[in-house]
Amino acid sequence: MTVKGPAVLFKRPGSGTAARSFDEAFGLVRSELERQAEGNPVFAAHLEMLDDPMLCDTVKDNILAGMSEPEALAAARDSIVSMFEHIDDEYLKARADDVRDIFGRLRAAMTGGTPGGESVIPDGHILVAEELFPSDTAGIDFKALRGILCHKGNNTSHVCIIARAKGVPIQVGADISGIKDGDTVQVDDPLAGRLQSIASKARAAGLKVYVNAANLAEIRAGMDAGAEGVGIFRTEFLFLNRSSMPSREEHETIYREALLACAGKPLTLRTMDVGGDKELPYLPVTVEDNPFLGLRGIRFSLKHQDVFLPQLEGAVDAARSVRGMHPEWFEEGSPLHLTIPMVSTAEEILQVRDILSGIAPDYRSLLELGIMIETPAAAIDAPALAVESDFFSVGTNDLTQYIMAADRCNADVAYLYDPFAPAVRKALEFTVEAAHKKGIPVGICGELASDPRATGILIDLGFDSLSLSRLEG
Amino acid sequence: METRKLVLNAPTGLHARPASELVKLVKGFAPTVVRISTAERSVNAASMLSLLSLGLKCGSELEVSVEGGDEQAVLEAVASFVESIKE
Repeated sequence: MTVKGPAVLFKRPGSGTAARSFDEAFGLVRSELERQAEGNPVFAAHLEMLDDPMLCDTVKDNILAGMSEPEALAAARDSIVSMFEHIDDEYLKARADDVRDIFGRLRAAMTGGTPGGESVIPDGHILVAEELFPSDTAGIDFKALRGILCHKGNNTSHVCIIARAKGVPIQVGADISGIKDGDTVQVDDPLAGRLQSIASKARAAGLKVYVNAANLAEIRAGMDAGAEGVGIFRTEFLFLNRSSMPSREEHETIYREALLACAGKPLTLRTMDVGGDKELPYLPVTVEDNPFLGLRGIRFSLKHQDVFLPQLEGAVDAARSVRGMHPEWFEEGSPLHLTIPMVSTAEEILQVRDILSGIAPDYRSLLELGIMIETPAAAIDAPALAVESDFFSVGTNDLTQYIMAADRCNADVAYLYDPFAPAVRKALEFTVEAAHKKGIPVGICGELASDPRATGILIDLGFDSLSLSRLEG
Repeated sequence: METRKLVLNAPTGLHARPASELVKLVKGFAPTVVRISTAERSVNAASMLSLLSLGLKCGSELEVSVEGGDEQAVLEAVASFVESIKE
């Protein structure tokens, strides 16, 4: 896709001056607001919000959870803003703008500038930048942009992921030397439009189009970009890169936010898929000869129930809390779809159902329980597994690798890793048939879903939904 | 800890101005802690963002709880303020 438009050069507020810590920035913004608050009720209210313990606590909690200060600030902004946006009251919804404004000031102060607000980019322009950092993207209003030209970065850079999820064409590696404000520039984005064309083809055939996500920001970006739900929310990030186990409350908070971000549309939450090659710092390391055939996914979770239980409890709590706020979202079944990874037997599903019954006897009204079809065992025994499941979700990456018994990272056998191979096709066909015989929906969320060559095939196979990976474009 | 169940009668719910007055009132009683709870969540009434995030509407049921010193008197003051919100 190619777009043309007037250029606007990205100016990082006050770049050149030293960056400030959150505490310094807070002090600076506070003294400025104090000055402005005299006789101005809007700024007086902003000052009060700034002093609100919730604001500081949310940022500090994020820092403790391992985020950098700018990330912590952006994440706190997102969670508080979304809290307001989801209040069913137009007046309070509009308070989200006040929160954005305060966080914009803090961000500007942290990046070394004078506190003022968000970077202002006129509508319909093409943003031209040497490089855009995650902290920059937090302040950019993507909806106003026609495109982005960036000198540094690659297709997996944060800004690319966000831009594509928002449907904004972006070109990285572009020569931006000599471009001035107002020049007409062009953005060539071969990947933009690819997801949209898959999405419109799938929608035309009656399929739902979901998005893959690994954190709240991706969920929000995907929903903003028009997804009809989240096809897979990989919860591993909650468990990795930290020194202690996440608590029931931490799970609950994140899942509640995620459900609110989906606003009643399905949130397919995959329980942790750790073990095998992903080890947890707070659990003893066991070296396995064959990690991909070892203790991973649900096998790991059932063995380490002290880690698994808080996740399930948090999910149940989140559903209950969201149902209290929005009972209408639960009228046609719960929007919380819990999916279990690496299932190979019906017994594993029953064990999870037992644990859930122990947590909440009424859990069936709070969530749907489905499974990932990613082992050959699950595909072959799909009719039996369908009896115990509310839905199927096919993970084509693992399924292909296990069916073909080929490691995609091993160059000598990578040619066998082919999701279009007849054996994989038959497994998909059989899985869809088994699901539909039982009357449960079946979606696909592997990379194959984002491959334009596969869209027609997946529609013909009868999948009910596609979940698109934004990294793929 | 003293608690009391109330119903919010403010026709347009708990908006920023009454919320900010409530925050001021509650802060005046520090270190006594006042919490407002609904069936789903419980928040510290000294935080305006938290209070607003409850999205309390006209007719919403809530519970005020007070912990610290002077519980009975603080509860009385907070409860009568909440009941008096009419804007």
